[in-house]
Amino acid sequence: MSAAPPDTWTDRNRRLAALLGRVALGDRAAFEAVYRDTGGYLFGVVLRVVHDRGTAEDVLQEVFVNVWRAAGSFDAARAQPLTWLTHVARHRAIDGLRRAKAEPDTVSLARDDDADDGPGEGLEALPDPGDGPLERLQRSAEAHEVTRCIEVLSPEQQQCLALAYYRGYSHAEAAEHLAQPLGTVKSWVRRGLQALRDCLTRAGIAQAS
Amino acid sequence: MDYGRPALADRLAAEYVLGTLRGPARRRFEALLPAHPALREAVRAWQERLVLLAASEEGVEPPERVWQGIRTRLFADTRATATAPGTPAGAGWRALAWWRGLAGAGFVATLALVVALNTAPEAQPPVVVLLQANPEVAQAAQAVFGTQAAFVASVSADGRALVLRPLAELPAPAQKALELWAVPAQGAPRSLGLVRAGEPTTVLRAQLLRDTAAFAVSVEPEGGSPTGAPTGPIVSLGKV
Repeated sequence: MSAAPPDTWTDRNRRLAALLGRVALGDRAAFEAVYRDTGGYLFGVVLRVVHDRGTAEDVLQEVFVNVWRAAGSFDAARAQPLTWLTHVARHRAIDGLRRAKAEPDTVSLARDDDADDGPGEGLEALPDPGDGPLERLQRSAEAHEVTRCIEVLSPEQQQCLALAYYRGYSHAEAAEHLAQPLGTVKSWVRRGLQALRDCLTRAGIAQAS
Repeated sequence: MDYGRPALADRLAAEYVLGTLRGPARRRFEALLPAHPALREAVRAWQERLVLLAASEEGVEPPERVWQGIRTRLFADTRATATAPGTPAGAGWRALAWWRGLAGAGFVATLALVVALNTAPEAQPPVVVLLQANPEVAQAAQAVFGTQAAFVASVSADGRALVLRPLAELPAPAQKALELWAVPAQGAPRSLGLVRAGEPTTVLRAQLLRDTAAFAVSVEPEGGSPTGAPTGPIVSLGKV
């Protein structure tokens, strides 16, 4: 039943579950141990969403303030510690991104250049992601066995999932961003998720629920 | 909507985790989660899948000012950075001398009770240690708890898990924390972390029993000892 995270996560997760249990008791030494173990990894997660390093540092602080306060609600029976921490970090990062809306948006700037190319012609027709969410999706994929499963998605599906996952975009925001009908974007998201699940299940990385 | 249909449940869970499930639909879904284990399982499975997109093998080391900022935001009251563990410092640490003195005199055997339980004959029995109230700080303990603090520690035979149970019901001390220590025959105690006053606490460590001559519980400031060594009175102690 359980999804299998990368092997190297297993021992670390066990150790982190014990540490988070102590953090829930208000144990500061355990809290620092969690930070020392996961701060670099979570900073990487935050930097995938938030470009600006200064903002990313602020977000990382918020992540750990959140971890300190919410450790009591972490349930080791229901989530892997690293999954939970990653989840907290991504959400804080997307919040930080929404706050810093004034920040230049490389994706939407690129869209203007491509606006005349006509929609619906595959990746070429989509906004050039530059160092945008799509590129980040592909980069993170390189580090994992997930690579193959990202590649089975169509470019449109990849782009939609990346905008939702790294930008926190809704269907409507993604549709506006991609200049595509809402229904089309919804179906790209749905099919992309199905294809990702089926591929990961076949690869034995995450089993079907 | 019929959330019992597995395909629909899985699709909603996926969009919930991805974040594209919004508004009333999202709130309805969240409201259903507590009562629907299958939905929760679908959410958990999708969290494990999508986390792969966020993860990368190589992290980025954040500058030390990030940790300093976190500490300032959460623990603005504490100024001292923890000294290296094992630094023999602090009144509480010196207070252990009473126990070591007694150990030399052979009294400790009467302080501690080691019981081998035979509940699991095929496995090695756990080591059970009684942590008795420290008579030297009876007054201090009385002031903190209104009673004497005694615990039973059960350590698995492989030394990897310890469960500490208060013998009598202890009120949680206000603005204070209880910290458990592994005390070697020589050298400084090792912190095993904070423990609860009123209910059992489980401690997981690689080597709980190696070089451990006794377990001790001290009263520390909120958040635990700021120095890495016991700073408050050792309220109970038991020899392994």
